[in-house]
Amino acid sequence: MNHWSWWLSGLGLASVMVVHWLATGRLMAVSGRITALVNRVRFGASETPEMTEQELLEAVRMATTVEFGELEAATDSHNPPGLGPEKSEAPDSPADDAHQELNPALPQMGPRTTSHHVFFMVAVAVGGLLAASLGGRTTFTWSLASNGFRDFAGNLSPVILVIGGALVGFGTRMAGGCTSGHGLCGVSRFQPGSLLATAVFFSVGVGVSLLLGPS
Amino acid sequence: MREPTGTILTGLLFGFVLSNVGFSSWDETHRMFTLDDQRMLLAFAFAALLLSLAWVPIRKWQHPSWPHRGVHPGIVPGSIAFGAGWALCGACPSIALVQVGEGQLGGMLTLLGMLLGNYAYSVLHERYFRWPASSCMDD
Repeated sequence: MNHWSWWLSGLGLASVMVVHWLATGRLMAVSGRITALVNRVRFGASETPEMTEQELLEAVRMATTVEFGELEAATDSHNPPGLGPEKSEAPDSPADDAHQELNPALPQMGPRTTSHHVFFMVAVAVGGLLAASLGGRTTFTWSLASNGFRDFAGNLSPVILVIGGALVGFGTRMAGGCTSGHGLCGVSRFQPGSLLATAVFFSVGVGVSLLLGPS
Repeated sequence: MREPTGTILTGLLFGFVLSNVGFSSWDETHRMFTLDDQRMLLAFAFAALLLSLAWVPIRKWQHPSWPHRGVHPGIVPGSIAFGAGWALCGACPSIALVQVGEGQLGGMLTLLGMLLGNYAYSVLHERYFRWPASSCMDD
């Protein structure tokens, strides 16, 4: 198989994480998107905690600053009733802090909707299709294009895939992250939970794979 | 960048890179885990190293408020389940999608399993566990 060398692969993976941050204002976390979709199914649109409390506060603060903070520069005549006097009495009000903290260099972070997660997932699949087409790796199989997997799973292939997937889904939600969120973005920020999670899931992956036999 | 354009472009790039790295191949992943081939391990470590350097100017100029990822009681058992599942089906969450895109339609079963497993844990967590539900959604 014609795959990239280790250094090009590493450069590619790191670039995607940086591009994700610059393009979406969030660190990449794929299992979080799956969690969001599952929550959408479980709780419906209205109760989906699509934004965390921190994000919500941040968004409200930014919206407030955009709405009222800009008026500081404008004349008083444009101030909504009630805000003008408060401003003049308390120049160090929270709104001013928010204005200072509003960093124009920070990538814009808007609320995500379910469709964004679906778009992302479809885009990942299409990206895979593009790469496979260009690299001559396209295939068509109802299982996986892998001799090793066929040897080990045999007729149980569909069951193994569902069970393996279920372990991945269960485990990443329990651990609060997967290879992108913990493994790359968390480890590179030296986050203790991510370092522990990555050490554990890689070690267990090695152990289970050794039990399955050599490639 | 205006959403969802940024999300879509990043997704395309991510799928493209993952396929070329070889993570969507069960055989390559197996060789990585059995330590027969260090290429993808090196790639992963190199990516983490490059990222730790890339965050330096981003932190300096953009002052992002990234979430702290602390140790909580779900980390070890969750990662054990994840590692075992990854070794069995050869896919971490985004990989199942790449596999489907490449024509390895077994990835759809993996994806189904992931959704079911994620759902099952969310129910279990609410009933039995007391620590705050952390999730990548915090990013």
